[in-house]
Parts: sequence; structure tokens; C-alpha cells
Amino acid sequence: MMGGWPRRIAAALLIAIAAFALAGPVLIGLDPAQQDLGRTLMPPGGGDLLGTDNLGRSLLARLAQAAQISFLLALLSVSSAAIAGVSTGLAAAWWGGWMERILVAIADMMLAIPGLLLVFLLIAFAPGEVWLIYAAISLTLWIEYFRVVRATARPILAGSEVQAARLLGFGATYIIRRHVLPEVAPLLLTLMAYGAATTVLAVASLGYINVGIHPPTAELGQMMSEYFPYYRAAPWLIAAPITLLATGLLCLALLASRDKPQ
Amino acid sequence: MRSIASLLGRRVLQALLAALFVSSLCFFMVRFLPGDIAFDIASGRYGQEMTTQAAAAEVRAELGLDKPMAAAWLSSVSALARFDLGRSYTLGKPVWGLIREQLGHTLQLSGLAMLFSLLIGPPIGIIAALRPGGLVDRLNLLGSALLRALPPFATGIILIIIFAASLHWLPAAGHTQRGTIILPALTLALGLAAVSSRVVRSAMIDVARSAYFHFPLTKGLPLSTVVLRHGVRNMAVPVIAHLAMQFVYLIEGAIVVETLFAWPGIGHALSHAVRERDIPLIQGAVLVMAILFVLFNMVIDLVLVALDPRMRAG
Amino acid sequence: MSMALVVDGLNIRSRQAHLVRHVSFAVERGHSLTILGETGSGKSLVSQAIMGTLAAGLNATGTIVIDGVAGPATTPDRHRLWGRTLATLPQEPWRSLDPTMKAVDQVAEGYRSLSRRNARGVAGDALRHLGLGGAERHYPFMLSGGMAQRVAFAAATAAGANILLVDEPTKGLDIALRDAVVALLRAALAEGRTLVTITHDINVARALGGEVIIMLDGEIVEQGPASTILSAPAHEYTRRLLAAEPAAWPARRPARTDGAAILTAHGLTKRYGHKTLFKDINVVIKAGECRAIVGPSGSGKTSFGDALLGLTPVDAGEVTRAPWIATMRFQKLYQHPTAAFAPRIPLGQALNDLISLHRLDLGRVAPMMAGLRLNPDLLQRRPDQVSGGELQRISLLRLLLLSPAFIFADEPTSQLDPITQQEVMDLLMQHVAEHDTALLLVTHDPAIGANVSGGLPLLPDHGRSLLAASGQN
Repeated sequence: MMGGWPRRIAAALLIAIAAFALAGPVLIGLDPAQQDLGRTLMPPGGGDLLGTDNLGRSLLARLAQAAQISFLLALLSVSSAAIAGVSTGLAAAWWGGWMERILVAIADMMLAIPGLLLVFLLIAFAPGEVWLIYAAISLTLWIEYFRVVRATARPILAGSEVQAARLLGFGATYIIRRHVLPEVAPLLLTLMAYGAATTVLAVASLGYINVGIHPPTAELGQMMSEYFPYYRAAPWLIAAPITLLATGLLCLALLASRDKPQ
Repeated sequence: MRSIASLLGRRVLQALLAALFVSSLCFFMVRFLPGDIAFDIASGRYGQEMTTQAAAAEVRAELGLDKPMAAAWLSSVSALARFDLGRSYTLGKPVWGLIREQLGHTLQLSGLAMLFSLLIGPPIGIIAALRPGGLVDRLNLLGSALLRALPPFATGIILIIIFAASLHWLPAAGHTQRGTIILPALTLALGLAAVSSRVVRSAMIDVARSAYFHFPLTKGLPLSTVVLRHGVRNMAVPVIAHLAMQFVYLIEGAIVVETLFAWPGIGHALSHAVRERDIPLIQGAVLVMAILFVLFNMVIDLVLVALDPRMRAG
Repeated sequence: MSMALVVDGLNIRSRQAHLVRHVSFAVERGHSLTILGETGSGKSLVSQAIMGTLAAGLNATGTIVIDGVAGPATTPDRHRLWGRTLATLPQEPWRSLDPTMKAVDQVAEGYRSLSRRNARGVAGDALRHLGLGGAERHYPFMLSGGMAQRVAFAAATAAGANILLVDEPTKGLDIALRDAVVALLRAALAEGRTLVTITHDINVARALGGEVIIMLDGEIVEQGPASTILSAPAHEYTRRLLAAEPAAWPARRPARTDGAAILTAHGLTKRYGHKTLFKDINVVIKAGECRAIVGPSGSGKTSFGDALLGLTPVDAGEVTRAPWIATMRFQKLYQHPTAAFAPRIPLGQALNDLISLHRLDLGRVAPMMAGLRLNPDLLQRRPDQVSGGELQRISLLRLLLLSPAFIFADEPTSQLDPITQQEVMDLLMQHVAEHDTALLLVTHDPAIGANVSGGLPLLPDHGRSLLAASGQN
């Protein structure tokens, strides 16, 4: 069994990464796209804290920018997907009938297309556009919230606790707030952590095969594909984005894992 | 057996809806794509200088862009019904032929990855479940968490650095040399095994704790008999149900891993197609993979029905 | 005289507590011993110690002699006796059968000396003998609770064990199913098996006869022949246990029957699938009266009460309520009180929500808590942190806050230990009388039905199914 401390460490690390992502670009104050061909592949510890890349750009500044993009996209996609999925899931469980059937059919239909494929399909409309990446990822993420919320809410709404609450005179708002949401909330936290991890991975995958965020904006996956050829001359270049990505995802997974480790 | 029919019916409906969704999406994308798509395609085919308005108009007619929206959409649906996936914008060849060849490579890679993962994941899961909280279990938990925190291409990069560049045991990329398939397959297999080992472990522990596992022991049956007769089958249900998720991982992983290892599969082609906005090719690749996925799910449904009589109840 | 089972000086300790203290008894071959006690009395620990299935953190000392072979209370080898010498009937038979295997095969695998085909034949015979002909090829999910109980019995005894250890075989069963299980156990006795039964149900002890042990807080308080102990108990606790039996409850003063009609049902009919639950039933409920419906589970009792409250649609008929009574004053008390509360909300919070919703007087809560013998501290807890009896009383409190005109009480005490059951039922009856509330009680126990209705005819008719009595009143 996993104790409480790994999750606490994970939460602390995530807060640190979030702070780096949000405040890093301003604090570092260097242009992540500023090339200096006279100072390429400088090792860490010199003038630049993490050294420079193949084009003489500051690795630290690039990492911070990449972290910011991934972090904001994850935050935005997860919250949009959660809002859409929770409200449709509640609506389907509450009203049932044809609306539920249509929503379930839509979710089933989209489930037939593995998430990343759907993202690819939509990205093709305008590769590299941030809003499109956000929209496509949110579109694949909401289904899970919809399914989980509907599956959790349905038996509660049909059960005797809600029957009793109605007999006692309580209305829809109260039933949702006191009976449904407290059961859904812990599941949502898990889903949101997984959703954030999925977003970060998807953004990196897109970046890696050069259909993600447009260069020269730095992005973790795109940095990996760009720095891979220099792994012998400047191993820190490839190590840095991989470490940042893996740490973030590991912390998210720890946060998502509850009493039962998987 | 009505439930089997309704189960299959639901999957067929799911596949049809998904196909309709993908093709309609692609149809509207072509119509509303920023810029003059016909001009772009024509220049792709004949070269920038050779492209004239006449050539662009020819392409426009070929795409049905000159027809009214509704009529064009209906004809695109009927093309889909005839399994006509159109021609690739960039390569000019029929999409179906291109995909058939790439799909072979992808299936070969995925098959080997699945085989590797089955050799790694379940055995580790079983050993971990024998002593929950023991050394193997903890190491497995740690390894699995680390592997899951890496995108498949990062795992692949690390494997290349270790096995190809440093140890020189295996070739790094391409598909002409012997043994090139090993590293990409291993990359995908590690990601699969990271999850399947934990799923097998949980399933085993759940079954071992269940009343239906304990009761036959009190009937006087030896442990080995109980494991074989009541353990394996019940454990298989969640493990096989999980295979659907593994398929998703394989498809998503194939896209990036094929790109990393220059493996000429459908994922590699798809990433090119997205970059070039070759919409018929994207449509074809997504459609084929979605339908394969639904088919795979259908097979899993049938296996689960065979394993678990509760699924047969209507 | 040869003893099948001797337990000598059994003590069971956990790290914190001494759970079972100095338990000793002996069972003669072919005889019956019943250990009677309520939840937490340690009776199940005794059975687990005999089977050798005590949880890892528990330490048992003493001697256990099985079939003449003595051994320490804790031994890793006890499982060698399973099936051939020692068998157990699982507490939850439905969950103890492999969900993916046919009934007959689960029995057949117990006949280990026979070939596969012969074993199947013998197992089929055993199932038919138990009245399960036709269900041999069924999977567990297709079996009713009672059928699963019999399949488990056949499976448990297949390997020929002579000592049968049965832990709470009638938990959660209604009277008809309980009697069927008792008949099964008596048949095992008649075959010459030795029977050790752990139960909280005095009726089971009485029906099985033989020796009885009464356990309280981990100790034996009384021990002897069932005929003596259950008719002339020596210990105070045993006396209370016997007095808590519904048949022994003192008769109640009949509720008033001169009230105005507050709820009238006319021609109520409900079907469930192909089955007709009730048909063409007419009922008039008057203010302040107490009525009871008695019937086995699955007879449509709950659906009938729900139909009166408008909680379930009916296929025909209509229910009219007295127009001067507010909707909120028609209430229901649930069989599983935990299922009537939001699980994560503290009980005090739930009550406060109700009070602020209807602008009730908060000051009424404290005296009502006292009247229901509830500790105010309970309100800090969540529903799963209080006992079943406490929670049922809090549910009652919640209803009483609304000054109900009518309460439909659906088996409100069937999940409680006998002494708690009597206490809760007394409080319920006392409070409905004080508030002039009409009560419709659903129960599977005819004694409770007769006691509550205080001489009024049971609804719709004595002990028969709802269907058998169409057109009451």
C-alpha cells in the first residue's frame, strides 16, 4: 500500500513545476528563441544554468517556455473537458430518455477512434495552431468524464437515498450537491490527473512528429526530436526535456493513484 | 443468445457511426480548409511553376468542390459505402493500396510488440501477486510507474541510446536491415507490459481474496486445482477486458514509434499526411484503424462472453 | 460416547483486545451444537479457529480435537481436513460459488474419488435430491439466494465430511428461506453428520435442538441442552435474548381506528415482467392507525407500499391522499438505513439541511434525540460510522421532524440483532402513537406483524401473499 508521503511529495513537485512553468519565462528573462551561433552546445553551469543548445539558445529558457505551453494546455483542456463531461454526464443520468441515448451514442462513436488519432485528424485542419490542439484534446477527453459521471450518478439517482431525499422535500440542486457530487468528486480528481497526463503526452507526441506547436516556440516533444542527434556531444540537451516530462507525469500518476496502487 | 446478437449489433453500429463521423469531418475540412486546397494539391502534383488555374480547376472538379455542399456530401458518403477511399493528394495513388501495404508493416510491428509484452508483463504480474508488497511487487510498481511516465518515443530514444548507439547490439532504425524491428517492438512492448503486469497482479489478488476462490478449498480441493479451475478463468476476465486499452496504446504508440524508428507503417504515413494535410490519406488511415479497433473490441466481447456466463444473460 | 469435536480453553487475542476468552465445549458424533450470540460476540471467531482460517493478526491458544486427533488451536495443517472431515457452509453462498461455472460442476468437483462423468452423475442426483432438478446446468447468477444456499450445501458436503461447520446460515433470509435452510441442516443431522451452527437467530437454535451455547462479549455465559436453556434460561442475557423474540413481545394497546381516511387506494395493480405482484387491491388508511403487511421476500410488499407513496408507477388503480395534508407528511422508513442517507455527509449536517429547508425548529432535535435514546455525539459522524440500530433511529428522527401523517416502514428492523430490533420497534410504535401518525409496516415475520397491528387484520390478509387477497376493505 502506498502511504501518504509519496502523494505529498508528488503534489509538492507538481507545484514546483507549475511555478516554473508560470513564472519561469519571466524570471529567467531570456528569449528562448534567441540564437547565438557563437555559443552552441555549451555545457550546464557556465553562463547559462543548463547550458545552450545546438543553435546557442538557452536550454533553461526553452524548458520554461515548453513547460508553460504544456501546463497551460493541460489546465485548459482538462477543465473544459471536465465541465463538458460532468454536465453532459449529469444531464444524461438525470433526464435519461432520448437525450441520454444520443449522448451515449456520440460517446460510443468517439470511443471507436483512439484519442490520439482523433487529435491527429483534427490537427490536420491547421497543423501547429494552439487553439486547435486545445480543442482536439478537449474533445477526446470529455468522454471519460461523461461516462464516469453518468455511471456513478445513475445508480445514486435511482437509489433509495435520493428517493428518501425527495420524500423529505429536497430539490434537484440539493440532490446533486449532497448526494451525487460528493461521490463523483474523488473520481474526478483522479480523472483530471490522468487527463492532464494525457494532454501533456499528446502535446509532446504532436511536437515530436512536428505537427504540434510551431517552432520557434519551444515544446517538450519537439525539443526531444531536435536534440536527439546531439545525445553524444551534449547529453544534457536530450536529458532535460525527458526528465521534466517524466517527473511531471510520474507526479500526476502518483496523485491519481488512490489507496489502491495500480 | 439474443445478447450476443445485440452486443455485435452495437459494435457494428459503433463502427458505422464512427466511419460516418470521420468521413464527414474530413469532407467539411476539405471545404473549409484555409487557403485554396485545390491550388495546393495541383502544385503538389505538378510543381509550383507548372500549376495553372486550369490545373487547379481540374483538381477542384475531381474533389467535387464545384458541386453544391449537400450533393457533394452524399457522394462522399456513397464513396465510403463502396470502400472508395480516394487518392492521396501528395502521392496521387489510391489510398486503399497505400494503406494496405503500410498496414502490413504496422501489424507486423504490433504483433511482435504484443508478443514481447506477453512474455514480460503477465509473468512479472503473477510473481508480484504471489507476495503483494514484496520485493518483486515493489520493483514492478516502480518500474511500471517510470515507464508509464515516459512517452513511447522517449522510451525509444533511451533504448536507442543504450542498445544501438552504446552497446551496438541492435540496429537503430529503418526496416531493411535484419533485426531493425526488435527495438521499436521492444519500445512498445515495455509500455504495454508496464500496464499489463499491474492489471494481471490486481486481477490475481482480487480473485485470491474472493469467496469463490476460498470456498472450493474448503471443499477439500488442492490449491493447484482451485487455481486452474476457479482462478485462471475468473482472472482472465478483467485481463482480457483490458486488452482493448492495450490496443489503443499500440495504435497511439505506433504513430510516434514508427516515426522515431523510420518504420514504414501506417503511423509513420499518418504523421507525414498530417504535416502535408493529405486529407484522403488521413481519413483512410484513421478509418482503417478505428474499424480495426472496433473489430478487436468485438473479438474481446466474444471472448468475454465465452468466459463469463453473466455476459450472456439478456 | 465419542466426540467429533472438542474445543478446550480457546482464547483468541488481537494486538489490542482479548476477543474470545476461555471457550470450551464438546460435540458428540452425530449431534448438533448451536452457538448463539449477537454481532461482535466472538462466535464467528470460534468457527474460524476450528476451520483454521483466522485472520493473520489474530493469535489463538488452546486445544482443538477433531475426530479424535488433538492439535493446537493454531495449526497450518488444518486445511488437510477440509472436505473429508470438516466442511463449512459459506456465509454468503451466492458469492462463494464460482460465477463462471455451472452448478452441477461445482458440486461434482467435490467427489474427488470418482471419475469426471460419474461425479457429474452423483452431483446431479444430489442437486435433484435437494429439489434443484432443472437447475443443474444453471450458473450462479441464475440461482435465487435459497437455491445458491442449497448448491453450496451440496458442494460443501460432497467430499463426505462428517463435521459440518455453519456460520450464520440464515443471515438476511426471510422466514420461508430460513426454514428451508434449517430443514437442510436437520437432514444433514439425520444422515449422521455432526453439526456446529453459529447464529444470532433463536429460532434456528430451537429448531436444531441438541446443545446450545450462549456467547456474549467473547465469553460463554450459558451452555446446555437447547430444550432447557431456551425454555428456562439461567443467565440474564439469555433471558433478554428470549424476551426480544417477536413472539414474546408484550401485546400493544391497539392504535385508534376512528381517524379520518388520509390515504385511499383503489384497484391497485402492478406487474413486474410476466409476474403480477398485486392486483385490484383497495385499501383505506386512517389517521393514527397501525397496519401491517406480512409476506415472504419477492411478494411485492415493498412495491405496494411504494405505490401508496407514489414512488413506483402502477399498472392500474389510483391512490388519493387527504387534500388537507402536506405532501411532505407522507414518509418512508427504509430497510437498509445506510441506503437512505448520503454516505459522505455527517448526520448532523443532513438533519440541519432538512431543518433549514423546511424552516423547522432546531430546538426540537435535542429532546427528540433523548426520546430516541440517541447520543448527541452521533451527529458528528457519517452514516457508516454508527450502528444499524442507531442509524435507523436517526432516520426515524428525521421523519418525525416533519410531523408525518403516514409512515410506510419497509422491514425497518430486519437487519438488526434481536434485542436492538425490539428496542427500535418499541421506539417506533411509541413515537407514531405520540404523533398520531398512521403506520404501514412491511415485514416477513408474522409475529411482528401481529404485534404491530394490535389485533387489526393484517393487510391485505393474514400471512397470504398480496395477490391472494384482492379487494380488502
